[in-house]
Amino acid sequence: MHRDSIQRRLIASVLLSQIILTAGLVVIGVVVTYSRLLSTLDTSMQAHATSVAVLVRYTEDASGHVYFDNSLLPESIDPNHPDQFMVWADRTGFLTRSEDWPDGLQFQPGPSQHWNFTYAGVPYHAVRMTHVPILDREEGKSFQPQTLTIVYATPTVRIRQQVKVAGISIFLASLLLLGATTWLASWRIRQSLSPLQSLARQAALVSTQSWKLQPPKEAEEIEELRPLTDSMTQMLARLEYSFKQQREFIGNAAHELKTPVAVLKSTLQSLLQRPRSSDEYREGLQASLQDLDRLEQLLQWMLRLARAEQWAQNAQQRALDVIDINSTCEEAVERIRSLAQSRNTTIHLATNGPVPFRADPEDLQLVWTNLIENAVRYSPEGSSVEVAVAHTKDKARVTIQDNGAGIPASDLPRIFERFYRGDPSRNRATGGFGLGLAIVKALVEAYGGTISAESTPGKGTRMTVELPVGRS
Amino acid sequence: MRVLVVEDELRLAENVARSLRESAGYAVDIAADGQEGLFMAESNAYDAVLLDLMLPKMDGMALLGRIRQSGQHTPVLVLTARDDKESVVALLNAGADDYLTKPFDLGELLARTKALIRRGKGQPSPVITIGDLELNTVNRTVQRGGREITLTAMEYRVLEYLAHRPKAVVSKTELLEHLYDYNWEKFSNVIEVYISGLRRKLNEGSSRQLIRTLRGQGYMLQE
Repeated sequence: MHRDSIQRRLIASVLLSQIILTAGLVVIGVVVTYSRLLSTLDTSMQAHATSVAVLVRYTEDASGHVYFDNSLLPESIDPNHPDQFMVWADRTGFLTRSEDWPDGLQFQPGPSQHWNFTYAGVPYHAVRMTHVPILDREEGKSFQPQTLTIVYATPTVRIRQQVKVAGISIFLASLLLLGATTWLASWRIRQSLSPLQSLARQAALVSTQSWKLQPPKEAEEIEELRPLTDSMTQMLARLEYSFKQQREFIGNAAHELKTPVAVLKSTLQSLLQRPRSSDEYREGLQASLQDLDRLEQLLQWMLRLARAEQWAQNAQQRALDVIDINSTCEEAVERIRSLAQSRNTTIHLATNGPVPFRADPEDLQLVWTNLIENAVRYSPEGSSVEVAVAHTKDKARVTIQDNGAGIPASDLPRIFERFYRGDPSRNRATGGFGLGLAIVKALVEAYGGTISAESTPGKGTRMTVELPVGRS
Repeated sequence: MRVLVVEDELRLAENVARSLRESAGYAVDIAADGQEGLFMAESNAYDAVLLDLMLPKMDGMALLGRIRQSGQHTPVLVLTARDDKESVVALLNAGADDYLTKPFDLGELLARTKALIRRGKGQPSPVITIGDLELNTVNRTVQRGGREITLTAMEYRVLEYLAHRPKAVVSKTELLEHLYDYNWEKFSNVIEVYISGLRRKLNEGSSRQLIRTLRGQGYMLQE
């Protein structure tokens, strides 16, 4: 896997921008230096060309002819590289050119201009001046004065050298600065990223034993890290909660499973401790069978819960038929009838027209059976349990009301927890495992519904299940 | 010896009690919840308490705390479904002497209970020797001078209790309290019968009296 690093990325971008800056500085430095030098050169070339023009004289007669007096030639601008010049007079024509004029180099008179050329490997800068007046004009001469055209070229070897030196020094200076700033930037970047590392160190301390994330102060002060630390803290809280629940469930399940096994084991062991009468054996075996029944029941409940919770996670994936909620309630009431009769309790079912709903009828029957059975068990003998089905356009509401002792307010929020028993002794006596309501809740939620309990101690409990009938 | 079993699973409690009575000859009381357990532990003299943790009314941990708070030295063996390290450590730190995880083996339960009682009375060895008397608490046999002595169950229990407290004066009430369960008072005049039976069997072929009677105080087992 390719591993990237924010630090490396930041340093790379700093480096890149610095390099662009350096390159720009070098180019601008070279261009500016070159043009400055060139304009200086132009000025001195014009001065030199004027000096050459001064050497053009009229002949002593009145013909108006000119000649070139090369006794006072100006020195070259660059003593090591001789300047070249060429002079024309407008009537006389070609007049003269520098002494060491390279063979084959040819210029023509023309409009004034500046240009560069290379001849025999030597770069030149040239200027052509037109209409340069001849200064040697004596008073009283009647001829028409002539003007000159001068081409003056000077090798640019020296200024090229100067530009090169300037470019190199700018480049070297920039390189030095680049190194320094890059080092500074990477140091700062590393420093700015250090809260991330200390946050990581703190996060590494989080374990199943200690869920508390203590974000380091330096990380908390950084705006960009705030969302990260916040979501980490929230995520850990959620994880801790579900982990605790899971652990509690395993602990409770272990306890619930181990107890009947312990009873069974101790019964059989004490039976085998010494020879017994056949009645004693029969009694022991019958008791063992009862224990096994209870164990089997518990396993069934636990599997049912696991299945219901699994459905809750992928409810949409089941292909279901539309059924009538009323008929599932009727079926549930029918199932509880014998228990109710044995306790002399009457169950009233009030319905109001069919309530179609897409569901597995077994699931709903299980929900109603559990709730009604609880209601019957916790109601005093001879009382009644009211079951009512009502529905609006998008909601079906089933309420189960008993006249029992009610549930203390402190227990109410926990009754849907797995293995929760308000009073262990009472529930064990009634044969419950504390799983019924957890299964009911999981099933109701698997169908997108909600369940709530209200209770008035001494008066009774009302369970309300709401199912989204509009959805199907 | 007398043992209290605090366990809300009645069937389990009865099985444990039956095993302790039959295999160890102990008197056993059963309490079905924490409050009853506390009441019985405070009002009777037990040689050991077997305590379930998940109890109605008052959980085992709280009960254990109350027993230890009141300064009772009775050894407590905890019966628990939890076997994770934290719970075990918490248990022992709360004053439990030993623990067994459910489902347990009745044989192991017996052995651990016997060991706890022995240690509680300062008798590390399962074979108690007083002079030429040798009492094996594991297989419940008694020898004197190499000679096997056959005792009835009650005679053995009286001797076992006296042997666990050698050279100490044990009153008749103490004997009754530790040898019978809660309705011991109706047996108050049978102790003399067992003592005289024991004396007769132990003294066969020997002139030295092992059990002394201190009038008005009780009995003492010594060389």
